[in-house]
Amino acid sequence: MLRAAGGGLRLGAALPTARTMLALALLAFGALRAGSGSYLAVIAPQDPTLLIGSSLHATCSVSVSGGDTPTAEGLYWTLNGRRLAPELSQVLNATTLGLALANLNGSKQQSGDNLVCHARDGSILAGSCLYVGLPPEKPVNISCWSKNMKDLTCRWFPGTQGETFLHTNYTLKYKLRWYGQDNTCQEYHTVGPYSCHIPKDLALFTPYEIWVEATNRLGSARSEVVTLDILDVVTTDPPPDVHVSRVGGLEDQLSVHWNSPPALKDFLFQAKYQIRYRVEDSVEWKVVDDVSNQTSCRLAGLKPGTVYFVQVRCNPFGIYGSKKAGIWSEWSHPTAASTPRSERQGSSGACEPRGGEPSSMPVRRELKQFLGWLKKHSYCPNLSFRLYDQWRAWMQKSHKTRNQDEGLLSSGRRSTARGPTRR
Amino acid sequence: MTNSLGQGSCRLKKWRLDPHREISDLPLTFFLVSQPVVPCLLSLLQAPFVLGAPVSLADSINQTYNLALYMQKNTSVLVQTYLQYQGSPFSDPGFSAPELQLSSLAPAAVPFTLWRGLGDGERLLQVHRAFSALAQHLQLVSDDQADLNPGSSVLLSQLAAARLRAQGLMGNIASVMTVLGVSIPLEVDTLGSAPFGASVFQRKCRGYVVTREYEHWTDRAVQDLAVLKAKYVA
Repeated sequence: MLRAAGGGLRLGAALPTARTMLALALLAFGALRAGSGSYLAVIAPQDPTLLIGSSLHATCSVSVSGGDTPTAEGLYWTLNGRRLAPELSQVLNATTLGLALANLNGSKQQSGDNLVCHARDGSILAGSCLYVGLPPEKPVNISCWSKNMKDLTCRWFPGTQGETFLHTNYTLKYKLRWYGQDNTCQEYHTVGPYSCHIPKDLALFTPYEIWVEATNRLGSARSEVVTLDILDVVTTDPPPDVHVSRVGGLEDQLSVHWNSPPALKDFLFQAKYQIRYRVEDSVEWKVVDDVSNQTSCRLAGLKPGTVYFVQVRCNPFGIYGSKKAGIWSEWSHPTAASTPRSERQGSSGACEPRGGEPSSMPVRRELKQFLGWLKKHSYCPNLSFRLYDQWRAWMQKSHKTRNQDEGLLSSGRRSTARGPTRR
Repeated sequence: MTNSLGQGSCRLKKWRLDPHREISDLPLTFFLVSQPVVPCLLSLLQAPFVLGAPVSLADSINQTYNLALYMQKNTSVLVQTYLQYQGSPFSDPGFSAPELQLSSLAPAAVPFTLWRGLGDGERLLQVHRAFSALAQHLQLVSDDQADLNPGSSVLLSQLAAARLRAQGLMGNIASVMTVLGVSIPLEVDTLGSAPFGASVFQRKCRGYVVTREYEHWTDRAVQDLAVLKAKYVA
């Protein structure tokens, strides 16, 4: 069996004319030998790229080797392992089998559809990989964020159709709006398949233009350009050192403390915080929203003797004096704490579900205002919120029932204002 | 597994070939993660056999035989994984195309009597040469698949592992050859200019032939080393 010299493909090698025909066939097929010992074949075209719905004309040409007369009789085509209907192929001449395919579907795998020319006995003579698909759509919905103003991560979506059937390469590009050349992002797939991370060399206080280019074998598409300043899309780490503790003996309150994220401590910003909490066996979170620039908060209206999970997150509002909000950080790791058990004995049935959140806040605010007014206009200099808490703790100790249903909140408050009531 | 040097059971401990050297700087972290037994076997591969204490022929043969046995467990998996990623007809169950061959890769098949009558040197030489060629071809297939199937990390890592194992086996066989006094041939470029200009289909077929021949040659290596083991190991 003749082999190409050195077992390899020598392009441009001069060969004796007597064997040129065979050598050419071998050169076309490289070092791979196929055929059932007698035939060698070549398919044309090799590795074509086609639009969905287009048609293809292919040929399988057998050549001589080993002395047998090659013939196209008995040869057949398969596409992705399925034999093609005989009416699609035709014998064009003694050594060539033709194929006419119409209305092609998208490629079944990204490495290409396998179109194979088989000998009569089923063995593989030659093959060609078809790439059938669509050109890429414009990538859309580019969103970016910067962690502590040090880097930039961007995410996008591949355009409405999504499936191009061909391997599509995405490149994120960026440049300073007013000058400079295009830069290309290098680190892909950091937060999902359509994302990229720019780790350094980013300027602040100046707008960037960012866009995504999508390319595949059939063409390319470019997204709209997004303009942004790094300072507008800053996010930070979640607040560290989140502690949740009880408030003395108060059975319906917990106190949350945290620190502001250290990475941004040198930059002028007013953090906004959000707290969310839930009971241990619930999936519903309650959110406390207006926590501005303080590092502690008190949760009230909670169930006694219950474990709560608490998380805090931060928004670097007002970085460098900007009036814009940043981007919320991730939630901190959940911190757990439990409220003190209620003093009630054997009356679990009387443990009404409490509203436990903003519904109690306006009352406390009003109380605060009242106390403030009282302090100014009365002769009680030691009046304070703390006194109120102490009174409440005393109330809990000395009374068996407290009714704080959401719907009955006002009546509950009424009962405390009037004095102990037994129900 | 113990050897005559009395090193003890080889599990997750580091294998001490030379009492003065710790074999810890292995580049083969892939194995250290996946198989507890392999670090021992592969630390044997990577250790150069120029140590203070001479390694006996029996040890050398045993070690190489065990490595080939270990490799044999994964060779058919590699072929199957490879075929899965190429699409039909390759990925069809029971796919087999013995008519596909690579002129740059000698087949493992050889007439029995001829094989039985091989001298020790010639026997080892053939296996050594085969795995040298296989290592080069596996690199080529890795490059091809990185291009054709860029998302196939499973396949790419298996191909990389197979290449390292082929090189490892070569090293072990070289050590047996050294002890037997057979000269080790220089590394030959078996690919030549074959790789360039191959079509996608040719590259798919090429990978199949390489992984198939890797399986066949590993089976053959086990047999070759069994012959040597019967001859030289008590």
